[in-house]
Amino acid sequence: MIEFNHVNKVYDNGAVALQDVTLHVDKGEFVLVCGPSGAGKSTFIKLLSHEILPESGTVMVNDMDITRLKKRKIPYLRRRLGIVFQDFRLLPNKTVFENVAFALEVIEEKPSVIKKKVSHVLELVGLAHKANDLPEDLSGGEQQRVAIARAIVNNPLVLIADEPTGNLDPNTSRDIVDLFKQINNAGTTVVMVTHDMDIVSYLDKRVIAIEEGRVVSDRMRGAEYRED
Amino acid sequence: MKIRTFRYFVKEAVKSMRRNGLMTIASISTVALSLFILGIFTCGVVNLDNLASNLESQVEVSVYLQDNLTTPEIMDVGKKLKVMPGLTKMEFVSKQEALQRFEQRLGDQKDMLQALDGNNPLPNAYVLTFETPEQVKDTAATVTKFKGVDSVHYGQDVVEQIFKITQIIRIGGIILIVFLACATLFIISNTIRLTVFARRKEIAIMKYVGATNGFIRWPFLLEGVILGFIGAAIASACVWEFYLFVTGEVQNSLAFLPIVPIVPFFYKLAGGLFAVGILVGAVGSAISIKQYMKV
Ligand SMILES: Nc1ncnc2c1ncn2[C@@H]1O[C@H](COP(=O)(O)OP(=O)(O)OP(=O)(O)O)[C@@H](O)[C@H]1O
Ligand SMILES: [Mg+2]
Repeated sequence: MIEFNHVNKVYDNGAVALQDVTLHVDKGEFVLVCGPSGAGKSTFIKLLSHEILPESGTVMVNDMDITRLKKRKIPYLRRRLGIVFQDFRLLPNKTVFENVAFALEVIEEKPSVIKKKVSHVLELVGLAHKANDLPEDLSGGEQQRVAIARAIVNNPLVLIADEPTGNLDPNTSRDIVDLFKQINNAGTTVVMVTHDMDIVSYLDKRVIAIEEGRVVSDRMRGAEYRED
Repeated sequence: MKIRTFRYFVKEAVKSMRRNGLMTIASISTVALSLFILGIFTCGVVNLDNLASNLESQVEVSVYLQDNLTTPEIMDVGKKLKVMPGLTKMEFVSKQEALQRFEQRLGDQKDMLQALDGNNPLPNAYVLTFETPEQVKDTAATVTKFKGVDSVHYGQDVVEQIFKITQIIRIGGIILIVFLACATLFIISNTIRLTVFARRKEIAIMKYVGATNGFIRWPFLLEGVILGFIGAAIASACVWEFYLFVTGEVQNSLAFLPIVPIVPFFYKLAGGLFAVGILVGAVGSAISIKQYMKV
């Protein structure tokens, strides 16, 4: 589903964010990406969403080399990915419902379908009662859950989440992680960035550790090491 | 594009027009003013053209006689005129008759004649009608030199004057309109730039959830088009009122001037104004979209 081949990313200011990253995520897998702040985790995700391009190497999503994607095809890639951004990226002047519906509006979904799907995911993330609130009236954790609802509302091929539990208390974090597991069990590939060790041990899934832009370990559940 | 998507775009465009408030009003006013001036110039040029072709097609020529001629002398001139080639009709209009006709033409305003104190400044004249306008021209050249003829008047000599005036109005109008078009483009693209700026965050998020460039651009383009459309509507209404007023005045005081009737001429003019308004609106917003929206 996802394949990085010798990917290097250097930002314009010279910051080396990723170095020779090669990894592979199968369809249906649940992968955790860990590492200290500044390690390059968000960079990894931005490469997947075609927000940035690597200096060298290839990034494959669903058997397609997205580094060579034509500009006008980018929106169609993004529609297949559900991305939860580290900074949420919610629209301040739209309600919770409208924010989630937005992902369906851009693909010109029918209003009746939008209503049904949005209500369903808001129920899933436990925000049905806040549907008409504006993001600024929500807590950090609630905003994060809106972002998650928007990412999953369109049944993505891959759910990509950048620290989706960063602002949540342990209990809510568990709920979110359980929700991700549920989505994964339904067949969706999940890539989740986290540095919450409780979650890593709670989930007991494959962990890719990144440090200073390099993959330093790629551990399947139960400490088995994998290198390819 | 689906109809409900289009509705969504219109809704977004209207929302941002409200948000832009003053800028929206300023752009609509600029568009309206520019198109109004364009409309007025067009009315002027069309009417002068109409007048010119009206005069050009006239086959009548008035030969004014000197004031001190005796009756035989007048008859003499008449005999010479009778043999002009292509002549179909010849009529003698005496001083008195000319004054009567003038009085009739003035209608309500014949009081003006009192200023003459009973003097009659109008000359005796022969009015000749020819088969073609060309014959009028040839005849005029010859007849001017006849003894006893004071002057010769016919439509075409005025035509050249009118043509000169029309040229000046055209050139002046074009310069003014080009200038106004630039101002309009500038203000519309500025308004749209504000919209793009106010919604840059939204634009970025739209991109990340998979909106195509077209989908993102449409509301902005529509906003410009709506600005142009409303401006054109206001301008058209003003031109209509203005034309009715001015032609009414002209008909009262200069009844003999031919005036292009407002219908159907106005429909074409309004169509043109709407086309220009919408085009300027679309181009104005396209400039800003291209410059400020990297999608
Ligand atoms: N837009 C940018 N321009 C320049 N340098 C950047 C940019 N984004 C990230 N970097 C640098 O690239 C490196 C990796 O950043 P990245 O955001 O991927 O880290 P991260 O692992 O997500 O960190 P965190 O856990 O704090 O979110 C850092 O050194 C950072 O300073
Ligand atoms: Mg990060």
